[in-house]
Amino acid sequence: MTGMRDSAPESDPVLQNDVLRAIWTRRVVRDFTEQPVSDEQLRVVLESARWAPRAGNRRINRLLVIRDPDTIRRLRMVSPGILGRPLLLVVILTDLGVAEKEQVQVTKDVNLWIDVGTLAATMMLAAHALGLGTCPATSFSRTGVSTMLDLPARIVPQLILQLGNPARRRDIDVAQLPQRVLSEDFVFWEQVDTPTRSTE
Amino acid sequence: MQRKVQIEEADAYELLSYLVSSADTCTHEPHYYGTFRLLDAASRLIGSMLRDPQFVGDVWLAAFKLELDDNKLRMMTNRDRYLASIPQATHAVAEEVKRREADWSAQDHAERRGNGP
Repeated sequence: MTGMRDSAPESDPVLQNDVLRAIWTRRVVRDFTEQPVSDEQLRVVLESARWAPRAGNRRINRLLVIRDPDTIRRLRMVSPGILGRPLLLVVILTDLGVAEKEQVQVTKDVNLWIDVGTLAATMMLAAHALGLGTCPATSFSRTGVSTMLDLPARIVPQLILQLGNPARRRDIDVAQLPQRVLSEDFVFWEQVDTPTRSTE
Repeated sequence: MQRKVQIEEADAYELLSYLVSSADTCTHEPHYYGTFRLLDAASRLIGSMLRDPQFVGDVWLAAFKLELDDNKLRMMTNRDRYLASIPQATHAVAEEVKRREADWSAQDHAERRGNGP
């Protein structure tokens, strides 16, 4: 898949590594085709989620798979961040009951959020490896989603992951894109505000 | 002559829900996200109008929706250009409103003024 502004050239040896290729070529996909995600593809994505890093090896998050078109429609109504029309959603939920048993201080423990992120990222990469597109959405009304899904009070929706077969992208006007973001633009070495890599 | 816009009840509730949910998300998201939600709502409203048989083939509405949809995603890739597109969109709507009002009959226009807010 040809990338956007910051893709490595195809000749880059890094891209010969399947894992790195998946990381470097994954992009957010918002437009999907009518072709559904197969049961096998979904199984692989969900099994991949098992292997996502999580703090203290605790499992306080749950996944809710939504394929019902009416439920998806209702979720879209309360989720301004879902711009396209996905046929499959995986909602990442936090089970506050389990969190309490694990003595997680939900108002203070940032690991709760990090776990949501690693879970989403792992599923996104697994989906990309299968040729699927994904888009994570956090712009939704938690109250709205909880109401539409009839979630019990202990279950909190954290992120909605859209999955599907990517629709063909329109040609990107490269001239309109911002300049490439390189790792040098956001990496410090040894000390903050020291962008230049020290010579070895 | 003015047309009465008819949209499906489901479309109306979808837009209603979108707007209220956007108010919710705007309480904790970057301020400029609010502009995106409003433009997206405008695009959705146009989409509903275009499903009304009276408006199928409305060249301006279809073109403006396309422009809205193209520009709004620039919020994530080219924010300066995205922000610059907003007053341009406002200008375009204002010009179109003036043009349409000029097309409506004087009687419809005066009647609407009398019943207006």
